Amino acid sequence: MAQLRKKSDFVGDTVQLEDVGLRYADGPEIFSNVSLAIPQSSFYFLTGPSGAGKTSLLSLMYLAKRPTRGRLKLFGDDVTDAKRSRLPAIRRRLGVVFQDFRLLEHMTAFDNVALPLRIAKVSEATVEKNVTELLKWVGLEEFMQARPSVLSGGQQQRIAIARAVVHRPKLILADEPTGNVDDTIAFRLMQLFVELHKLGTSVIIATHNEHLVSRFAFPRLHLKAGTLTAMPPATGAES
Amino acid sequence: MIALRSELPLKGDTSSRFVVWLVMVLVFMASIALTTNAYIGALLFHWNQSVTGTLTIQIPVMLDAKDPASTATTERVLDVLNRHPAVERATAVPREKVTELLKPWFGAGEAVADLPLPVLVDVRLSTSEPSAINAVSNSVQSTAPGAVIDDHRAWLNRVIGLAEGLGAIAITAMALVTIALGLTIVFATRASLAEFAQVIDVLHVVGAKDGYIAGQFARRALVQSLIGGGAGLLLYAPTLGFIAWLASRIEPGILPDISFPASHWVVLAALPFLAGLIATITANVTVRRALSAKV
Repeated sequence: MAQLRKKSDFVGDTVQLEDVGLRYADGPEIFSNVSLAIPQSSFYFLTGPSGAGKTSLLSLMYLAKRPTRGRLKLFGDDVTDAKRSRLPAIRRRLGVVFQDFRLLEHMTAFDNVALPLRIAKVSEATVEKNVTELLKWVGLEEFMQARPSVLSGGQQQRIAIARAVVHRPKLILADEPTGNVDDTIAFRLMQLFVELHKLGTSVIIATHNEHLVSRFAFPRLHLKAGTLTAMPPATGAES
Repeated sequence: MIALRSELPLKGDTSSRFVVWLVMVLVFMASIALTTNAYIGALLFHWNQSVTGTLTIQIPVMLDAKDPASTATTERVLDVLNRHPAVERATAVPREKVTELLKPWFGAGEAVADLPLPVLVDVRLSTSEPSAINAVSNSVQSTAPGAVIDDHRAWLNRVIGLAEGLGAIAITAMALVTIALGLTIVFATRASLAEFAQVIDVLHVVGAKDGYIAGQFARRALVQSLIGGGAGLLLYAPTLGFIAWLASRIEPGILPDISFPASHWVVLAALPFLAGLIATITANVTVRRALSAKV
């Protein structure tokens, strides 16, 4: 079930937001008093109209921004005012899929996907094995040595997803991860997220795609006019 | 820390290509400044050595005397000097040598032969103690009251003053070059940071530490400085050769033959590495400071 908890309930969750507000410079708050708890191994859709702040909410969770108000905890660690030096270790437990992919243009598809493993100093043999396996899974084994610029939007998106999951993160944050692929591939990519979820990863997927949301029996967090509402899973969906 | 793998597209970086050229010019300037400083130091040492422990005594011409060379006075002075315990050796400079020295100014004709030239006495002291110099001066003065005693100090002091001024300029040039190198790296690094802002964001998101990113910039700065520094030294070598050729055309004796100690060449060869060290540290600190302002 979707859970919006009271402050006293915040224990052992992957993500905890407590009365969080966020504003850019002197502008108005994008959202305010958002409190939520994402338990371990859970799966949520994050929905809401364009400009509601879905991307901003995700960016708080992958530590690109810090709350201007309230508290934020990741994996039980209060990171609201944490020193910068503590953040890389926390970020290595996250996998992020950006709406605009943010692939590194000067690197091959393989090297892009290998990036989180290499940053974490994983052995090159393991990098080779895991990255190759994953690129096969997303159907891009033929494009391992291709630069992102020669790939289609959908192919780039799959590389972005592979990069986000290659290091088996504890929390996956995906911003419109199926926005550029057809329904068949979208479903296949969703299956990848579901598999990881079953293995114990928490997943939050921000999407506009009502069709996708209705196909999977996962709860949703709906962000509208700066307020977050929990909604139950779609009825009749597959799990 | 220097990262071995580069996740930043620094090879195609347009914002810092000028670094190699600037480092080349800076290392070239530094090597010239160093050589100038070393040359002036060696020149001073040479001059100091050649005049320390020597005196030149001028015995003026007695215009009313029949003997214009004041032979008797000269002999008395030489006698006094050669018996003095602080004097190693005293010899009169032959008149032919004095006229020879004057030839460039007065020519070789009869005019010089008739000139009432003073007698010059070269004195080599066995000590450079000021008290001994005074004692010798007093002895000479009492023997030949009009004699002029020159211990070359006044001349040498003025030369030292000039040389020290030039040396200070060379050292100032070195300091300015170091500052210029630091600023070059700071601005180039900042430009690259702006150019690769999005790449750096991605690296942060996948868990890269600031030190890892700073290491990549530092490694690039090191490589650029080594290349630029090496080129600067390559440029320096023919310049030094040219200066040496110009100097070799000057009459012998005006400039002493000076050879630099091995340490000078070692320091020169180390300049590109020194530039590399400064660049590495500067780039590292610049990146870390810039990144520390992020979330």
